[in-house]
This record gives sequence, C-alpha cells and structure tokens, in this order.
Amino acid sequence: MSKSNTQKAIEWFDYRLPIFSFMKHSAVEYPTPKNLSYMWNFGSLAGIALVLQILTGIFLAMHYKPDVNLAFDSIQHIMRDVNSGWLIRNMHMVGASFFFIVVYIHMARGMYYGSYKGPREVLWWMGVIIFFLMMATAFMGYVLPWGQMSFWGATVITNLLSVIPFVGEHVVIWLWGGYSVGDATLNRFFSLHYLLPFVIFAVVFLHLWALHTHKSNNPVGIDLKKDTDFIPFHPYYTIKDIFGLGVYLIPFTFMVCYAPEYLGHPDNYIPADPMVTPAHIVPEWYFLPFYAILRAVPDKLFGVIAMVAAIAILFVLPWLDSSKVRSARFRPLFRPLLILFFANMFVLGWVGAKPPEGIYITIGRLATFYHFAFFLILPLVGMFEKPKPVPKSL
Amino acid sequence: MKTLFTLALATLIPAMSFAAGGGAAPVEQDWSFKGITPDWDKEQLLRGYTVATQVCMSCHSFKYISHRNLMKAKFTEADVKALAADMDLGINDKLISQLTAEDAKAVYGKSIPDLSLMNKARGNGADYVFALLTGYEDGVPAKYAHDFENGLPDGGYFNHAFPGHVIAMPQPLNDDQVEYRDGTSATVEQMAKDVTYFMQWTAEPELLARKKLGVYIMLYLFIFTALAYALKRQIWKDVH
Ligand code: HEC
Ligand code: HEM
Repeated sequence: MSKSNTQKAIEWFDYRLPIFSFMKHSAVEYPTPKNLSYMWNFGSLAGIALVLQILTGIFLAMHYKPDVNLAFDSIQHIMRDVNSGWLIRNMHMVGASFFFIVVYIHMARGMYYGSYKGPREVLWWMGVIIFFLMMATAFMGYVLPWGQMSFWGATVITNLLSVIPFVGEHVVIWLWGGYSVGDATLNRFFSLHYLLPFVIFAVVFLHLWALHTHKSNNPVGIDLKKDTDFIPFHPYYTIKDIFGLGVYLIPFTFMVCYAPEYLGHPDNYIPADPMVTPAHIVPEWYFLPFYAILRAVPDKLFGVIAMVAAIAILFVLPWLDSSKVRSARFRPLFRPLLILFFANMFVLGWVGAKPPEGIYITIGRLATFYHFAFFLILPLVGMFEKPKPVPKSL
Repeated sequence: MKTLFTLALATLIPAMSFAAGGGAAPVEQDWSFKGITPDWDKEQLLRGYTVATQVCMSCHSFKYISHRNLMKAKFTEADVKALAADMDLGINDKLISQLTAEDAKAVYGKSIPDLSLMNKARGNGADYVFALLTGYEDGVPAKYAHDFENGLPDGGYFNHAFPGHVIAMPQPLNDDQVEYRDGTSATVEQMAKDVTYFMQWTAEPELLARKKLGVYIMLYLFIFTALAYALKRQIWKDVH
C-alpha cells in the first residue's frame, strides 16, 4: 500500500521537527500503569482547568479595564452588555475555585500514595511551585473587579510584607507603586495576573517532563517492572480522562448556571471604598486554611513565616518521610495521621472564615500545631511503623 | 481513599458557604426567580419598576439600567418608549436620581448606594432587601430598649433587618404610595415584594439566559458522560 500524501507530508515535517513522534511517544504510546484509580484523573483535569482559565481570561481581558475608576463598571459591562460575557465571567470565577478543588485533591492523592518519594521529588517540587504560583495568580485576580473585598483583601495581604525586618515598609510601598493600594497596584496586578498563568503553563511542562521520565506512581506504590503492568495511554487513559472530564463539567456547569455567586462574597459587589472597612475581611475559601495559620500566631512576623512555611514545608516532605513504603495503604501509622492531617485542613479552613476571637483562636492554634507536627514527626513515624506486607508485583 | 473522598466532599460543601453577618437572617420568601427555569413576570416587573422609579429614585440611582434594557425582559420598544417618555428620558438614558451624592451626604449623613446591584451586594440578597423594606418600626421595640437607652440617634430609624438596627433611610414605603397601572392594591408588603423583584432583574438581567442555558448544557453533559462511561467500560474490558 502506498503512502497517502498527508502521510508523506507528516513524515517530511516530522523528520525536520519531530513533533508528531513526540506526541505519539508521550500521549499515545506512553506506557501508563494499568492499576491507576480515578484519583489519577485529577492531573489531566488540572490541565484542562488551567487551559479554561487562560481562555476565558483572554476574553475577559478584551473588555476589562484596569483603572480604579473603570474596573468595577467594566465588570458590569461584561455581565450586561458583552455577548455571553456573563457566561465567560462566571466560568472564570467558578473555574478558579474548581481549579483549586482539583489541585487540592491532586496534591492529597500525591501525599496519600507517596508519589513525592524518589525518584519523583523534582516532579513534586514543580507541583509545589505551581501551587505557589496559582495562589499568587488567584490573589491578584480577585483584586481586579475592584469591589470591597478586592480592595481590603489586597490591603490586608500586601501589608503582611511590612513585617519584613528593616525593609518591610519600603517593600510594601514598592509593591503598591504608591502609599496605598491604588491605581498603580491594580495595573500591575492585572499585568501579572495575565502573565503568571503562562508561567504556570511552563512549569506544568517541566512537571510532565519529570513525570514522563519515571512514569506515574500507582495506588500500590511499588516500582512496576513488567511490561504487562503498563498499558498505552491511548486509548485507555484518554477515554478515562474524557469520562472524568464529563463528571467534572457537570457540577462545574451547575455552579456556573445556577449558583455562580455561591463561592463568592456579596461585599465584592460593593465598589471598593478606601474609607469604609467591611465588617469582616475574608479571603477566598481556598486561602482560608493558610489565613487561619497566619492569625493563629500572635506575632505578626512569625505569623507570616508560619503561613509561608505551612506550604513550603512540602518541598522537604520527600526527606521528612523516612519510610521506604510509598502507598499509605500499607502504612498503619502514617495513614491515620495523614487522614487527620486532611481533616485538620478543613478545621483550619473553617477557623479561617471565623472572626479571630474566643474559642476560634484556641482551635486555630491547635490545628496549626497539628499541621506542623504532622510533618515534623514523619521521620519518627517511618522509623517506628511496621508496614503491612507490600506485594512484589501487581 | 474512596470513602475518604466522599467524606471530604460532604464536609467541603457546607464549609465553603458563609453568610455575610449582620442582622438576624431574613425570612426566606418564595421568589418565582428561584426555580430552575423561571420566567420574568412582566406585570410584576412593571409594578416593581413603578415603585423603583416613583419612590426609590427620589434618593437612589439604578446607574446600570436604561429603559432599553427592559426590552430584554419582555417589554416591547413601544412599551419602553412610553415609559421613558413619562420620565422625560430617552430609552438609552441611565436611571439616575436627581439627588446628588453631596446633597445625599448632607441630608442623610450617609452615602446612598446605587440599587442596580443591591440584590447581589448583600448576604441573602432579595430576602434581605424585602426584610429591610418591611422591617421598620416607629421607635425602638421594647425588646431592644436596653440597646438604645438614649433613644435612636438623630436621623436614625429603627429597622429589624439592618445590621445594628439603625438605618439612615427613612421608611420609604407607605400604603398606597403609588398607583399601580394594573390596579393591584399598593400595600407596603406588595410594593416591597414588587420592587425587590424588579431589583433582582436589575442585579441579574442575565438570570433567565443563564438558567436556561444550564438546562441544555447539563442535559448534554449527562448524555456525553454516560456515553463516555460506556465507551470506557468497553475499552477497558480486557484489562485485568
Ligand atoms: C428619602 C431617601 C430614600 C428613599 C426614597 C429610599 N432610600 Fe434607600 N437608602 C437611603 C439612605 C440614606 C440609605 C443609606 C442607609 C444607611 O446606610 O444607613 C439607603 C439605603 C438603602 C439600602 C441599603 C441598605 C443596606 O443594607 O446598606 C437599600 C437596599 C435601599 N436603600 C433600598 C431602597 C428602596 C428599594 C427604596 C424604594 C422603595 C429606597 N431605598 C428608597 C435613602 C432612601
Ligand atoms: C496547574 C496545576 C497542575 C497540573 C496541570 C498538573 C498536572 C499533572 C498531570 C497531568 C499529572 C499526571 C496525571 C496524574 O498523576 O494525575 C500529574 C502528576 C503529578 N502531580 Fe501534578 N499538576 C498540577 C499541580 C500539582 C501540584 C500543586 C502538585 C503537588 C504539590 C502536583 C504533584 C504531582 C505529582 C506528585 C504527580 C505524580 C503522581 C503519580 O505519579 O502518582 N501537581 N500532574
């Protein structure tokens, strides 16, 4: 059978720039463990969520105006006058929250199955970097509508930097581009909010490069040796990811069309007013656990350090965990401690939404203590734990 | 891991909602726009419009709304032209109050918020606005007397729904304050209901389109996902 012209053209091109071989190698033939659970769907979902944020964001940016006098009205212009503007905006708003839900599950999966352990430490690092970048992006995005929560959230959070010894005040003024959160701040936040997702995209590329170097971990957590333990990515995981996408889009659409404001705060429909402080300044839900840690520490400087450390400690997790066994399935001590760690995250999130008074302070401190204690006792857990028998192969 | 996941979802959803604090939670009304496929009631919108333009607009603006916008809510061009002409406005003019921000501040000591987005800018939205409009008392009720030993401050009125109970807006609605074109009797409760309904439209003119589109996409997604699942089962049947 002779080759069709298309095939010849593809080969001609591929010989010069092997993009087709690359795709075939890393998205079609790519060997994937056959025993992955649905927990392994969240990586590709995160990728789709990222692309959706970028696409909807580009269209929003065509109508948005980063000017303190125009920003709030330009959002209303999008909601009321731009064709399907409300749809694009709701997708971007709900999409941000859903992106975080997906990534939180993705990270929890990594912790539960010990995916951060060798040889995937750098893959894990790229993940932690992505997470920091996502938080920065989301924080700056929330400032753009220039509502009350935008303004006051930005004021509270940027002010945190003033605790840096000696240079703090200068750093904050430099960041604001003035003596308070204002027009210059809004402009640069818009610029960076547009830029960072592309940086995330690049780090995701490195993340996947690292992933494809040593392949996915799996629920049993053992190194797979036999060829029969793997199946090609296509069609097995393409169809599984497509099904997963459908399951994801159902609640996503529901929120976009029936409850777009559910995860938001009504105060952000009041235009920013530097003269009126809202009764409670609360960040978006996905920041609440870390906000709780910030407020749990009585000293401002150490509060900020604790908040950053609460996430940055993930960088060294592969070395804190001294156990050779990856999957929590076979770790009778680690597993309950980890489940408690996840539950503790919800407690932190709940405390973060409450005013910092009375019993909430105590609970917040206990939960903060456990958050760090969990990591710090990991070396001991690995030493004293008697793992259940781990199968040699699937 | 699976049970863990369901558990997490079950706690996540209630944990993520937080009502904005303030006065007591308002009574939930049964608004017709709450359903999955609501439709604007043109008569009620017109009654709400009447209250909004004849009462509220002596102090408040609806700066995102022009008469032309009503054409997206069942009003014909002839309808909106007639309504606009009654107010000496063109159909593209925004609904701006005669009261300037400076005068408002001088008279009421507070700035007067724009009402276009009000139903989205308060926790419990429409229920709160309705409770506010119907929540006035002449003087302080006995139950709250100990909070106001020196009576109400100057220019303050008692309101059950308003956070802190003292509001600078005098009771805006009194029986028969407007004459409805459709002859409905204009009680305080009726007017409050109608104007709140109208304000829901001004806050979310896209509400119908949004909910309608949702039905189609959801139906499509259910079918798509079911097919994807069937195909997944088919493709995976020999993997053990
Ligand atoms: C006489 C002037 C006046 C009229 C008429 C008036 N308002 Fe107000 N309104 C005010 C003032 C002043 C405030 C600010 C109150 C405050 O902050 O204490 C206000 C505030 C409000 C608020 C916000 C309350 C809050 O939670 O902050 C709503 C809602 C409102 N008005 C609705 C209406 C509606 C609906 C009408 C028409 C039925 C109306 N107003 C008519 C003067 C008026
Ligand atoms: C933009 C955000 C992200 C995208 C698009 C993304 C994408 C992916 C994809 C497609 C995979 C393979 C499929 C899977 O295993 O689920 C993966 C694996 C992985 N990701 Fe991410 N990821 C993101 C964020 C993160 C974060 C924040 C972390 C942790 C801090 C992380 C840690 C990991 C780990 C450890 C693996 C390997 C899992 C295994 O093999 O068991 N990722 N990622």
